[in-house]
Amino acid sequence: MVKNDDLILKMENITKTFPGVVALDNVSIDLYKGEVLGILGENGAGKSTLIKILAGNYIKDSGGIYVDGQKFEIKGPAEAMASGIRVIYQELNTLNNLTVTENMFVGEQIVKGPFKIVDWKAMTKRAEELLDTLNVKLDPNTIIGDLTVSEKQIVEIAKAISKEAKILVMDEPTAALSEEETQSLFRIIKTLKSKGVSIVYISHRLKEIFAITDRVTVLRDGKKVGTLKTKETDTNELVTMMVGRDIKDMYPKREVPIGDTVMKVKNLTAEGFDNVSFNLRKGEILGIFGLLGSGRTSLVKVLFGANKIKNGEITVNSKKVNVKSPAIARDEKIGLVPLDRKVEGLALIMGVKENITLANIKDLGKSFLIAKAHERKKVDKWVNEVGIKTPSVEQEVNSLSGGNQQKVVLAKWLESGSQIIILNEPTRGIDVGAKIEIYKLMQDLCEKGSSIIMVSSELPEIISIADRIIVMSKGRFTGEYLRKEASEEELLHVACL
Amino acid sequence: MADIKAVEVSQKKNIRLNNTAVLFIILVVMFSVFSYVGRPFFFSKLNLIPMLNNLSFIGIVAAVLTMVMVSGEIDFSIGGNIGLTACLTALLLSRGLPGWLVVIIALAGGLAMGAFNGMLVTVVGVNSILATIGTMFIWRGIGYTLTNGESILAMNPVIDYIGRGFVFKVIPFPIVLLVVVFVITYVIMNLSKWGRSIYAIGANPLASYLSGINVKKIKFINFLLCGMTAALGGLILTSLSAVGMPQHGQGLELVIISAIILGGTMLGGGRGQILGTLAGVLILSVLYNFLTIMNIYYFYIQMVQGSVLILVVSAYEIRLAMAKRRI
Repeated sequence: MVKNDDLILKMENITKTFPGVVALDNVSIDLYKGEVLGILGENGAGKSTLIKILAGNYIKDSGGIYVDGQKFEIKGPAEAMASGIRVIYQELNTLNNLTVTENMFVGEQIVKGPFKIVDWKAMTKRAEELLDTLNVKLDPNTIIGDLTVSEKQIVEIAKAISKEAKILVMDEPTAALSEEETQSLFRIIKTLKSKGVSIVYISHRLKEIFAITDRVTVLRDGKKVGTLKTKETDTNELVTMMVGRDIKDMYPKREVPIGDTVMKVKNLTAEGFDNVSFNLRKGEILGIFGLLGSGRTSLVKVLFGANKIKNGEITVNSKKVNVKSPAIARDEKIGLVPLDRKVEGLALIMGVKENITLANIKDLGKSFLIAKAHERKKVDKWVNEVGIKTPSVEQEVNSLSGGNQQKVVLAKWLESGSQIIILNEPTRGIDVGAKIEIYKLMQDLCEKGSSIIMVSSELPEIISIADRIIVMSKGRFTGEYLRKEASEEELLHVACL
Repeated sequence: MADIKAVEVSQKKNIRLNNTAVLFIILVVMFSVFSYVGRPFFFSKLNLIPMLNNLSFIGIVAAVLTMVMVSGEIDFSIGGNIGLTACLTALLLSRGLPGWLVVIIALAGGLAMGAFNGMLVTVVGVNSILATIGTMFIWRGIGYTLTNGESILAMNPVIDYIGRGFVFKVIPFPIVLLVVVFVITYVIMNLSKWGRSIYAIGANPLASYLSGINVKKIKFINFLLCGMTAALGGLILTSLSAVGMPQHGQGLELVIISAIILGGTMLGGGRGQILGTLAGVLILSVLYNFLTIMNIYYFYIQMVQGSVLILVVSAYEIRLAMAKRRI
């Protein structure tokens, strides 16, 4: 089946470094006409970096890219697109106020006549044709904002194939999809495949890799571990390749004695979720699982005072609290390790020191002034305790690895004395080693009497680390499980209710 | 490995220190060359004292505006504030109010103008560029209205002392004010908790807010102080010229912002040094003074001032781009 003339893309010995990290180290992949190549790896393995290089968003340090056998220097996104490379990102780039048709032809409208007037009729017709080829029923005049995430994705795919797309890259396309929607996406992928489009399918979900790919390349810590034919491998082999260790070592879990209720949330309603109640107990790790759009991030923001409460009450240590602002949350000893640490958690151009004391500036000295030795002592203590690897405490956090940045955010809340720590996707975008350290740290904190709310969309992580798991879907709680009762299938099912 | 990284860090620190240090070296070189070329007049009491007096109010406003700009905001209304303060001062003096009371009213007026800016930006949520361009016109318009567009003589022992007095009979009082303001702002920005919050807000306002910092309050107080120091600048200018007129301080906002940016403060916030601002003010003032005493036509001087700003900012950008390319 695979002949050499069918080789459509070859990326050879690609290396890319960022300050403090080697994101890709001599990685090679090859892609044949009409095949689906899976790229499998943990967060931080280098999948996204590889794709961004292919899409022209990053410039590689070294290595070669060959399209149709010809060496190809990609200098920007326009060149990548011109050579038939299309990428569907995890975060969709739809313009939500415009219609399906407008979105599909943005920047490349069909025009007619000498004055280049936009030809709406032709565009609508073409949009219908494209949606037809994908076997989906969708009115091209719908406003994109009214569509579901999965429908938006379909529009992006249709847009991608509107111009000659030889290579279609999908970056974690199922992150926000239900089981059914995933199946219909797979049908679309099969359709495209039969039309000769080559697809790079990026995921860290093994089930999908087995369901849809022909071959799979496994990356780990920026290195290629190997490429296998999907039919000739199994879960165990792939996990071992992906993680580089036994799955048990991946999620170290200690039993920590669980105490009394420290936080009680009753009938909480706000933008994004409705009538939510739960208790959090001392020493407990409470997991909240939900797909994108389930309301999990809204809930976290309300608990931390960043979004407004409409109804309901929050009790901390048997005292009713009105968390109107993050400052009040901090004073109630609640801390938030946010979803996007670079945007919401860190002052990137400031040092490790300044970031660790960011939430507790008032304790930097008795007077108006900063007591420098006092600050230094506190910072050194946390760098040591949390295990932040940095050449100095003056180092800008910008240049630290994702794992170390995350530890800085965590240290910030420890410094401010937080007893209830909310972590939103605690291990997003960090390497396997740092992940394990974060899990251990979380459990150290619980042993010392803190309580943790861990919001995660990583099934293996939440099932292994959380003591109790609440499932959210469309702004409601749809299930609650103790760790021992939970299974990946069950959680995913309940998350789509 | 650890050693290599440590070296990199110390180099990085040097670079940051250098930005301000380089500016001071440029200043010293400029000053020496000008003293030689412009001898004997440039380096004489007759030239230097008026030069220092003239840069004093620019420097005072620049120091506090640096705080505003590091926090990620800007204030274009300082020139209008100076004009209105000058008019108000002269008008009140002409009505026979005692000098000390006029000073207090003028400074209170400055606070009020700052509070209005701060409210627009932090409570209403108007972008500070637009808000303060708006108030710039309003302040100056009020100045014209109050004085009917005319100049009013402003002579009074207290007011005279602010711009033309001497401490210990040798040090000009505006220079004393300049030094005091720079010492205070240096302590705030480099040594205090409040300064730390200002830098944090400029570096990442959202993360600062989500870390419990009261972003709005700090920005508001910065605007308040900026309004008050602009009024102080207005008092000095009124005293130096002995008149209050609505044209006072016209275009000064751009000179002051240029000096601050020359000193290394970034538009958008997060980075900037009080000493850098001092260097920026001194460089622009020395250059302007030299060109003036060399009888260079005023129109050319403007072109030189603009070119210097563009040159320095380009140098910063090129340096930044080079640092980024390494990524």
